[in-house]
Amino acid sequence: MKYAYFPGCSLSSSGFDYDLSLKYVAKALDIELVEVKDWVCCGASSAHATSHLLSIALPVLNLSHAEKGGLDKLIAPCLACLSRFKAANVELEHDADLKKKIDEVFDYKYQRKVKVYHPLEVFLQMGAEKIRERLKRKLTGLKAVCYYGCVFTRPPKICQFDQVEDPQSMDTIVRALGVETLDWSFKTECCGVSMTLTRSDMVLKLSNDILREAKETGAKAIVVACPLCQANLDGRQRQIEETYKTRYGIPILYFTQLMGLAFGAYPKEVGLQKLITSPQEVLEALGLM
Amino acid sequence: MTVAFSKENLALSRDLQAMTGENVMLCYQCKKCTLGCPSAYEMRMKPHELMRAAQLGLAEEIYWSGTIWICLSCETCNTRCPQDINILRVIDGLREMSKELEYYNPYPVLPASHRIFLAFVKRFGRVYELGLALLINLRMLTPFKDIDMASPMLLKGKLKPFPHRSHGAKELRQVMARIRKLEKEQSVSRQAHGGH
Repeated sequence: MKYAYFPGCSLSSSGFDYDLSLKYVAKALDIELVEVKDWVCCGASSAHATSHLLSIALPVLNLSHAEKGGLDKLIAPCLACLSRFKAANVELEHDADLKKKIDEVFDYKYQRKVKVYHPLEVFLQMGAEKIRERLKRKLTGLKAVCYYGCVFTRPPKICQFDQVEDPQSMDTIVRALGVETLDWSFKTECCGVSMTLTRSDMVLKLSNDILREAKETGAKAIVVACPLCQANLDGRQRQIEETYKTRYGIPILYFTQLMGLAFGAYPKEVGLQKLITSPQEVLEALGLM
Repeated sequence: MTVAFSKENLALSRDLQAMTGENVMLCYQCKKCTLGCPSAYEMRMKPHELMRAAQLGLAEEIYWSGTIWICLSCETCNTRCPQDINILRVIDGLREMSKELEYYNPYPVLPASHRIFLAFVKRFGRVYELGLALLINLRMLTPFKDIDMASPMLLKGKLKPFPHRSHGAKELRQVMARIRKLEKEQSVSRQAHGGH
């Protein structure tokens, strides 16, 4: 299966391990990823907070590159990028006035032929059975919670995927690997990453709430599906521990890293050494260290 | 507070509808938005209060509260609104309108951070994360605020020391220029009709 691949600004730097592990897993599942030619930033929060038209135009620029390349399916692993791309497709479908304005600012008229997916959507479409077939080792003994982040299922009109308040897709995939996923109520609580530089105080509070809940359920790791969620919960964990006088030491793993491990990868092959909060305990428990 | 309501007060809700397509008059103050909002604890004017203020045309109060800037865009409010109002879209509309207005803003670093972000996108086609962190922290006069997070990332190769350019940046700049022109024409026509 061939997909256009939009890494986004994060996967080229702070989400480097997500990119690495996703490519490993895609190869194992016979998915060909073709990077979108001359891709540019999706605009994230800053575009829609300053100009609605720009917030639609940036995704359209990328989608038209994919369309021109002859691809009608695109994978965007970062949830912010994915959310913006899906919003562009949905809004252009329902708002003729917007479509007119977009056509005015672009030379190439985007035909809305490119469908956008998160890697989890693609893997679920393939079926959990296909994943189990590829397993070289079962990750039994690991108790984890899946953290989806705020824009994975919201708003439902745009995302059109999974249950809004209690999503199950990541849990399904991760359980197929043998991990015990625990139930918790903070699956889609916002960690505050859109203001991680400008209001770090709020980010520390919100991310602390998430880490505390995860610890209380007895989880030994948090599994994520977005480089922004990961950077916040992982990169700021030390700061959070100092600010709130507590100790977490909970590694924040990408679901693709767990998939890679289950498919037989060495920890280095899926970028586990790049984690700031060490996954040593988790890997030792799984017999992988 | 008591508001002497007159036709002029309706200008804000009218402009918001023209700009965003959202009708703030549908709000009946159920407070579901505020109850799900992760940053409501920090807001002087909570989301449902902002909707009420928008209905009453209290633009100055809205901007003075700074609520629109500490909204995290988590999409919880508009997902849960029983009247199907896209509250985030209303907030984005207010943010967009504020570019041309002179109201006091208690959190000036937030619109500044968006400008810096987009300046990087314009220059390189992509966000230069390290540059973004440096410039925003300089603007906030807190150059070492994020060193705990940034230094392990740099050491592990998770933060690129130099910006990455995209060949799509030229086309992007062209699109941005055309959008700016279109928006200028729109704002001129909005001002001509006695709007915000």
